[in-house]
Amino acid sequence: MSAGMDQGWWSSPRLRFVAAAMVVVNGFFPAVWILLTSLKTEIELVQKPITYWPHNPTLQNYVQAFTDQPLLKYLGNSLAVALIATAASLFVSALAGYAIARLNLKHRQLILTAIVASSMFPLVTLLVPIFETMRALNLLNTYTALVLPYIVLNLPVCTLVLVSFFQSIPKDLENAAMIDGCTRLGALWRVVIPLAAPGVFTAGILAFVNSWDEFLLALSLNSSASMRTLPVGITLYQGEFSFPWPIISAALIVAIVPIAVLIAIFQERVVGGLTQGGLKG
Amino acid sequence: MAFEKIRDPSEKTLAVLLLAPAFLLIALIVVYPIGKLIYNSFFDLRLSGGSGAFAFVGLQNYKDAWVDRDFWNAASNTILITLITVPGALVVGLGLAMLANLPFKHKWPVRLALLLPWALPLSFAGLIFAWFFHTEYGFVNDVMRRLWLQSEPTMWLLRPNWAFTAICATIIWKTSSFMALILLAGLQMIPKSLYEAAEVDGASKWQQFWQITIPMLMPSIVVALIFRTITALQTFDIPYTMTKGGPGNATETLAMLIHKTTIEYLDMGYGSTLAVCMFLLSMVVTSFYLRRIGRTA
Repeated sequence: MSAGMDQGWWSSPRLRFVAAAMVVVNGFFPAVWILLTSLKTEIELVQKPITYWPHNPTLQNYVQAFTDQPLLKYLGNSLAVALIATAASLFVSALAGYAIARLNLKHRQLILTAIVASSMFPLVTLLVPIFETMRALNLLNTYTALVLPYIVLNLPVCTLVLVSFFQSIPKDLENAAMIDGCTRLGALWRVVIPLAAPGVFTAGILAFVNSWDEFLLALSLNSSASMRTLPVGITLYQGEFSFPWPIISAALIVAIVPIAVLIAIFQERVVGGLTQGGLKG
Repeated sequence: MAFEKIRDPSEKTLAVLLLAPAFLLIALIVVYPIGKLIYNSFFDLRLSGGSGAFAFVGLQNYKDAWVDRDFWNAASNTILITLITVPGALVVGLGLAMLANLPFKHKWPVRLALLLPWALPLSFAGLIFAWFFHTEYGFVNDVMRRLWLQSEPTMWLLRPNWAFTAICATIIWKTSSFMALILLAGLQMIPKSLYEAAEVDGASKWQQFWQITIPMLMPSIVVALIFRTITALQTFDIPYTMTKGGPGNATETLAMLIHKTTIEYLDMGYGSTLAVCMFLLSMVVTSFYLRRIGRTA
């Protein structure tokens, strides 16, 4: 696996452990620190010097995280927007990806480039026209206002992942299905999609994370309290002069858990998909 | 007959049908907005107060931008953030990738440790690090106090240069794991035999790094740099959640200025002008990189 590193002093298990520990601490420490903060009382928080381990762990902050702001509502909105956007992104990019991978297109490369290039435009520059369009269509403060741009946001990465999966499926299987009386679309639905399921799944997770994380459009297009998503809602615990850090931390933990569980379960798929068409900073 | 045609369309019809949803959406969300943006930038479109006029003003908005201190401040902040965080994330990401590439018995903790910062929303990273850099109760100041690095707590988010430093550090932390994941995949594709041959020839680890690892990684590095640069130019979430652009407008980026001008002040004409300028800036970078790829390919 690791090239040229299985001899000499760095092959020692202790050093390998140190290396792993450095990566793990770098990745997990901020979340762990927030978790510890979320268990502290307001009194303990303002002690100096600061404490690392909570002395009197409390879950009160979690209760308040749900009562100070409609956290459950934000969670539901985020889940709804991300799930709808993921399903819609997969549908649109599966169709496009299939056409690019399988049909005799004259400008195959140009079409793929156009789809990928559409994500290179800074979203914030398109904010005003998108805002105006959504207002004209009466879509501000709806799930649709976010889902439509998110599909475009997810389109490049989903299309890239799906094209490479479609190309890996033998064409003979499809031809056989068509000889058996399937139409082309029937073959896509009954043969290609099921065989490309791992790719669809990978693209789906990437689309979900992208949609779940988006901030700028969610902040600008859905500003009414009942339509806010988590990343936006979570910034609202801070008052004009007060930062209730234990409560913010509790809300952050609640918000991080779903996405952390998702990537923990599907980590290999996520890594594979990222390296195939990773387009997110 | 006609029914059969619908059920089993010709190759060409099918292609149009399959590609239509994608391109209709791109037209609605990207192409039309770009046109509208350029059009708007020639108008006085203040939606609240002001003259209330929706008048054609020619290049006036662009002339205003040229002498607008806020615009140049935001533009230089954006460029500076890009120049610091992109190489920063590359170096940190490469370090993480090399560490993660060691032969561990259990790979999942390391892999998850690289995935978690990537999956975390930028706004969450901003909030978490704002708490890290808190003057009184922050972790960073506590560590520095314990190491005797400071006599007075540093006012991280309240002083222009410190706030800028804290924001850059946060961005580097957040984005380096994505770099590491891309570079790790690149590292794993380098044939082991190259290192074995170099070993036989007596090359040091240092020489192996510069003469094998870096050249072999170049394609992955270029890809990672492109995406990172494009997103760095759009920096919004982290400064927005950490400092709201403050103190003053010391950490305000172009994206934040555009957002403030349009969504908060509802000055759509001037906001569009700023957006066109940012658009051109990012196009310069994108085309520069695309040409680089063309040359290396």
